[in-house]
Amino acid sequence: MSKLLKIENNFQDTIKDFLKNLLENKKIDGVFSFRKNTSNYGLITDVKELENIAPLYPLMPANAGQLLGRFTPMKEVIAVVIHPCEFRAFIELAKREQGSLDNFLLITHTCGGVYPLKVNVKNEINEKQYWASVEKGEIPQNIRPTCEACEHIAPQNADILISTIGEKNDVTKLYLNTKKGIKFAKYYNDNLVKKSFEKENLKPLLEKKNIAKEKLFSAITDTGLDGLIDIFGKCVGCHGCNAVCPICYCTLCDFDSFNYDYNTPILEKELEQKGALRLPPDTLFFQLGRLSHMSFSCVGCGQCSDVCPANIPVASVFKKVGEKTAEMFSFIPGKDVKEPIPVMIFKEEEFPELGE
Amino acid sequence: MNKGIKLEGEIRKSILDFFEKTLSNNTFDAVLMPMMVPSEDSYAWILVKDKNLLKDAEPIVPIMPINAAKALKRYTRIGDGKFKIAALMKPCEIRATIELVKLNQIKLDDVTLFSYDCVGALPMQDFIAEPQKKGTLFDKLLKEQIYNSDETKPVCQICDKFSNCASDLHFAFENGNVVLISNSEKGDKTVTKMKFSPNIDLKNWQNNIDALATDKKKNRAETFELVKKMAEGFDNLSETFALCINCHNCSSVCPICYCRKCYFDSAVAKPNSDVKMMRAKQRGGIALPLDKIMFHTGRMAHMSLSCVSCGLCSDACPVNIPVAQIFSYVASQTQKTFDYVAGENAGDALPMKEYKLDEMGELGEMVKKAEVQESHNE
Repeated sequence: MSKLLKIENNFQDTIKDFLKNLLENKKIDGVFSFRKNTSNYGLITDVKELENIAPLYPLMPANAGQLLGRFTPMKEVIAVVIHPCEFRAFIELAKREQGSLDNFLLITHTCGGVYPLKVNVKNEINEKQYWASVEKGEIPQNIRPTCEACEHIAPQNADILISTIGEKNDVTKLYLNTKKGIKFAKYYNDNLVKKSFEKENLKPLLEKKNIAKEKLFSAITDTGLDGLIDIFGKCVGCHGCNAVCPICYCTLCDFDSFNYDYNTPILEKELEQKGALRLPPDTLFFQLGRLSHMSFSCVGCGQCSDVCPANIPVASVFKKVGEKTAEMFSFIPGKDVKEPIPVMIFKEEEFPELGE
Repeated sequence: MNKGIKLEGEIRKSILDFFEKTLSNNTFDAVLMPMMVPSEDSYAWILVKDKNLLKDAEPIVPIMPINAAKALKRYTRIGDGKFKIAALMKPCEIRATIELVKLNQIKLDDVTLFSYDCVGALPMQDFIAEPQKKGTLFDKLLKEQIYNSDETKPVCQICDKFSNCASDLHFAFENGNVVLISNSEKGDKTVTKMKFSPNIDLKNWQNNIDALATDKKKNRAETFELVKKMAEGFDNLSETFALCINCHNCSSVCPICYCRKCYFDSAVAKPNSDVKMMRAKQRGGIALPLDKIMFHTGRMAHMSLSCVSCGLCSDACPVNIPVAQIFSYVASQTQKTFDYVAGENAGDALPMKEYKLDEMGELGEMVKKAEVQESHNE
């Protein structure tokens, strides 16, 4: 049974005060959070520096799961405030031994979504409007398309879940879902009551999101070869989608490796057979490869779409395909660190229909 | 001065007709040219062997989705081919090709390079947002030979190397006419094979280009004065690259950044958690992703001597940092130091590959001065 800590203060100040308190009293050694003044994440060890954090700011310059994976194992105790999809990405990385949750106090929040990077570049993030939508349980305007369609907005397995959706921003409810969460909350304030987060409250919003998801998925009509050629035909091969993907953890992607360095005679042969040859080759092959390598673990964070120089809706395609793949294994990426990823377990009876 | 060969028809048609003939009479076996993608909002590099497919090619396109040097690299880097290839590209793509040849990434043994008078390219994002409208706009620029449109990429607007270059043959546009110019032995061979006899005087065209280049040079100097403030000194760089998310798109699309594994993506550049904590504690906090400025200054040090100012880095930046203008400015300074112009002449050695006994004497002076200063301080 989870516990609840209710603080009579707004979300932002409550989180700041909580983290300050823990850091000052040396219960934690550092804080990982978004900083609005620099538009990036910070690993902060000095209490004074905590003034600059904006833990719930609706922007994601990088998926924090990727960043956290890169500094584990962590010997000291770090409190982390991240979006649910970043938390889920970190879980998926931990399953792949690319990160360890040890020594992290993982704090997340019911998430209204984040804005595309370009919206921030144009200085068009309207925080007031955003939080008004969150309070009303509506989808904020102009957020990432995959955020509009995201249903994993309230992870129940993070140490602390802060409830924001449908809540007035003058009382902050911290749901403490793990022993670790309870322990650290008690250092701050031991006025805890037994109470679990009520998922029912999110239902109206989730219904709206479902409609948004149907709309998003129906825009990608054809995931067959022709449809994919249409979508990915303008790919410039920068592999930026892969570079920012929290799940794509390979140091050297296979598609950037020697394996695909065809020599001139091989390319000549293809040129002779087809009469024409696209250069560089393997544009769609790369996308298909990435789809099969990581899509079942795709957390739908939308980072890939944001960095695509050709405005390809990468995230929408990957979310649509990823959900279908994950469904076949009754798997939800990032739900539980103990749940192995489907391709790592052997089941004697699996996909008998393929045999047929 | 060389004489040129007048080709019949308007730009697109005359160039396509020319290459069709070269395929028909086996002057070349295949031609590298852009072609529109199925979604009709971008272009891809296609090496065409079947001359019936050539009708779908677009010799001159409004954007540069991929630097042609990169496409050519993938075809020629490993092994020897039997086909004779013609490649048509923008002058900055020719320059990138020349640099990659020097860096042993492209072999030109079987390749003949064609360039053309370039009106510039539109920013990728602008074109993709309104492909038809921007396509029409570009057609106008090309038809009317407008070389200073502010609709083109900022680096194109200040490019003074938009015309004839280190290609083998060049398509010059003069008053709606297309005139082919040979620049090399390879070019002469093509001219002979095609049974052309150059007889067009190029003086007027050259004068016109020179005048345009002078204007653009002026423009360039003025722009660089502004860019300087964004690029010099750590504080300015920090501010300029503040929004950088470390996706390294700029390096991935850069034709010169050919390393398979960039140093800054390697394990060496990813310190472990102990080091990160140590650095955080020294300063009370560190920004993540780490070492953004180190990456950009590192890239400047690694590639700016060969930067051809194609502007792809800006096109690919998800947070609209004017990467290309900054790199173009820095490149102008580093290249000036070595009296080198990237891609201008295949015969020039890469400055870093060449040993000169006497070089940068002023550095020695600076060290001496510093030493004297230090001894005074003591």
